[in-house]
Amino acid sequence: MSNEAALLSVEGLVVRYGAIEAVRGADLSVRQGEIVTLLGANGAGKSSILNAIMGLVPVAGGRVVLEGNDVGGEPPEKIVRRGMTLTPEGRRVFANLTVAENLSIGAATRRDRAEVEATRSDMLELFPILAERRDQLAGTLSGGEQQMLAIARSMMSQPKIVLLDEPSLGLAPQIVDTIFELIVRLRDRGATILLVEQNVELALEIADRGYVLASGAIALEGSARELSASGDVERAYMGAH
Amino acid sequence: MDVVVQQTVNALALGGTYALLALGLAMVFSVLGLINFAHGELMTVTGYAMYFVLTAGLPFEIAVLVGIVAAIATAMLMERVAFRPVRNAGTATMLLTSFAVSTILHMLFQNLISARPKALPVPDWMIGALNIAGFDIGVIQLMSISATALLLFALTVFLRRSTLGIAMRAASLDFPVTRLMGINANMVISTAFAISGLLAGVAGVLWLAQRGSVDPLMGFLPVLKAFIAVVLGGLGSLSGAVLGGFTLAFIEVALRAFLPDDWLPFRESIALALVILLLLVRPEGLLGRKEAIR
Amino acid sequence: MSRSNWLKTTAMTAALAGAVFASGTAAAENFKVGYAGGFTGYLAPYDQPSLKGVQLAIDEINAAGGIGGTMPIELIVKDTRSDTAQAAVVAQELVDDGVSVMIVSCDVDPAVASGVIAQAAEIPSVSSCASTPTLPAAVGPYMFSNYTADNLQATVLASYAREQGLENAYVLLSRDTPYTEKLPEYFAEVFAAMGGNVVAVGEFTIGQQDFSAEVTNIKGLDPQPDVIMTAAYEPDFPAFLKQLRAAGITAQVLGSDGIDSPTTFGLGDVAEGVVFSNAGFPSEGSPLAAYEAAYEAKYGEPNDTVFTATGYDAMLVIAAAVEAAGSTDGAAIRDAWDNLENVQVATGTMTYKGQNRVPVRVVALNQVSGGERVHVGDFTPDPSQIPAP
Repeated sequence: MSNEAALLSVEGLVVRYGAIEAVRGADLSVRQGEIVTLLGANGAGKSSILNAIMGLVPVAGGRVVLEGNDVGGEPPEKIVRRGMTLTPEGRRVFANLTVAENLSIGAATRRDRAEVEATRSDMLELFPILAERRDQLAGTLSGGEQQMLAIARSMMSQPKIVLLDEPSLGLAPQIVDTIFELIVRLRDRGATILLVEQNVELALEIADRGYVLASGAIALEGSARELSASGDVERAYMGAH
Repeated sequence: MDVVVQQTVNALALGGTYALLALGLAMVFSVLGLINFAHGELMTVTGYAMYFVLTAGLPFEIAVLVGIVAAIATAMLMERVAFRPVRNAGTATMLLTSFAVSTILHMLFQNLISARPKALPVPDWMIGALNIAGFDIGVIQLMSISATALLLFALTVFLRRSTLGIAMRAASLDFPVTRLMGINANMVISTAFAISGLLAGVAGVLWLAQRGSVDPLMGFLPVLKAFIAVVLGGLGSLSGAVLGGFTLAFIEVALRAFLPDDWLPFRESIALALVILLLLVRPEGLLGRKEAIR
Repeated sequence: MSRSNWLKTTAMTAALAGAVFASGTAAAENFKVGYAGGFTGYLAPYDQPSLKGVQLAIDEINAAGGIGGTMPIELIVKDTRSDTAQAAVVAQELVDDGVSVMIVSCDVDPAVASGVIAQAAEIPSVSSCASTPTLPAAVGPYMFSNYTADNLQATVLASYAREQGLENAYVLLSRDTPYTEKLPEYFAEVFAAMGGNVVAVGEFTIGQQDFSAEVTNIKGLDPQPDVIMTAAYEPDFPAFLKQLRAAGITAQVLGSDGIDSPTTFGLGDVAEGVVFSNAGFPSEGSPLAAYEAAYEAKYGEPNDTVFTATGYDAMLVIAAAVEAAGSTDGAAIRDAWDNLENVQVATGTMTYKGQNRVPVRVVALNQVSGGERVHVGDFTPDPSQIPAP
């Protein structure tokens, strides 16, 4: 796979927190229309990679290339304007803003009111529960509803690529299934997704390709089918400990 | 009973000024995690701007306008020059920076303008009182109550209706995620300072109209009161700051009005003790973080 | 803030904190006077003007050849930053610099802190404008007062009120400073002793913007006071006065020298008729009028506070004491100072002899009329009426 074809490619990414090197030279890429999953045990550095890609933590080494431009070190607000966004771990909806306000602020970078309204009705169609709750404070929603809101909020900026950090975290199994179905539907509508997930089985079920991270470096990569068939993923997880 | 109504009006007028100041502090705190102790100096800047305009022989109304604009400009300048470079250095560094800004401004005022107070004559029409239904309401009191109501209303509309306003509320809840919405951090912080400058400017005009003079150190006490109001209301809560300001004013006026003479020397201590008592009952303040900005 | 800005500011701070102004030529026979004042911080409004007066006096004395025409004065100025601990440190530095007399801050606490250092070194010291009459006794025989004492002012104000036929007084005090507390208390004491009735005593906090509660209380008093006395100064006095008049209370308001400021005269109608005491009135042909002219000539702006004049007075008194002593020895100066009589100064004359180092000087009463200062009269109270400090 050549980098030219990739929408997003990460090359030799290094992330440091003080003396600790959380990510040591990770390479990965995502092509237009793909769901790519990034797997790994707790503390393997998955969230660090996403946060560094988004400019939330400094890039200590390597490059982050979005559509041919090195965006490493740019502030998050600029990266969002370039068409990449992150749905953060733990959902982090704005608890004291209404559902409608959460969606509005997701579209803060866009000027054309009519287009924003089109995206909004699109999202409310995809997530009907949000339409029902639009005037409620986001903090009063259930965990699953909050996750849907967080995803919809990210989509309001019409991103070219969305980074999803642990969307299943803390949710009941059948809710997780719903969320994952929705992720697939988003991809079917043309979204490109980089998915960080602890639930390996589910992630590989919906992904096209996957990477397995161990101790801050990519230990394994391949198509989702290869990875789930081989059983290497579990070994890579064990190897991390 | 009449006295109670009269003192309530008194407390409302005082609370309005406290609320404006506290809201300005809370505005900056909510986006930056900084209690800006140089906030009071914005009032002083308003005072000196008014003084210079009046000395140039221009009308009082122009002086008020220039005074408020000067406070807004100074607030934004403070952010740009002093706080932005240390924004990522932690809240303790920012707090110390705000003390430094405050001290430097004191020195500049004292040495470039004057250590002595400068008279700020107020038009006579502002000094009178209106008698409404048997109660005296000073013109300045009335202005204080109506300016507070007007500003709170305008600010509420701004925070609820405009994208930038919603972004500011979002930023007060979760700053990093707000940036993930593509919202420019500098823009939000700069706006917060501008609003805090506006509020301090208006509060400054009301405060100055009462005292009739501007001096280099006049900002210290108001910022202290505003700080108490902010803590009382709940750090980070904008509506809490307003409620805290009014609560503090009611406590102060009630104590000064109704304490027996023998107890008067202790009124400040009693007021602070009551504030601490309230905080013991509600450690997160009257409207803690969770209740912020409905 | 950028690094270079920090550096500039730091450098400026250092320059202000350590400023040394030397007058005259630094020769061996110079008479060294140290000034430990709060030139930055909360005392700056008092100590900065005092310093200006002191410098004017030194200029004049040195122009005539110095003390006794032969001994020029060298002034060493050190900033205490209005900090009491720093006031002691700075005083010690001045002692080490070899000063023969020390001028200290206008506020009692730093004045005591500096004064005890001077006392230990047997160097006479004087506070240019502290008005608490107990200050010299609190420090010791080398400490002198200069300014009009609180009990003196209060006595003159109370006598005036009684002479005007005023019967019922309301007194507003603040326990935040001895000045705002004691002066009204002395007033109440003398007013009552002269047969007046003190209806109530109210309290405020310095910097309190809002006096509505106090004013509402005054409106509810029976009998209504016909005179209201306070030692509040700005910003409290203007705020109080405005709210008082806004509530329709027309009683005579009496204030003390703290309100002798342009602010008071800029208040408009509300200040009309207010009477206050201070250290002197510049009537035409008076020494104070001459002083004001000299001040404007030196500084290019009119004098806007009596504290410059009293600073000037303090320096003249020091010169008189040194001249009378005929020596730069601390003990000799102290003894001569303690026996000074009728020293001609800008605000009138000053006498220390027999006064326990708290000078007798004239108290002037002034009335605000049409935004101008009108002279009511100069008074020297009968010592038997002055309350003990």
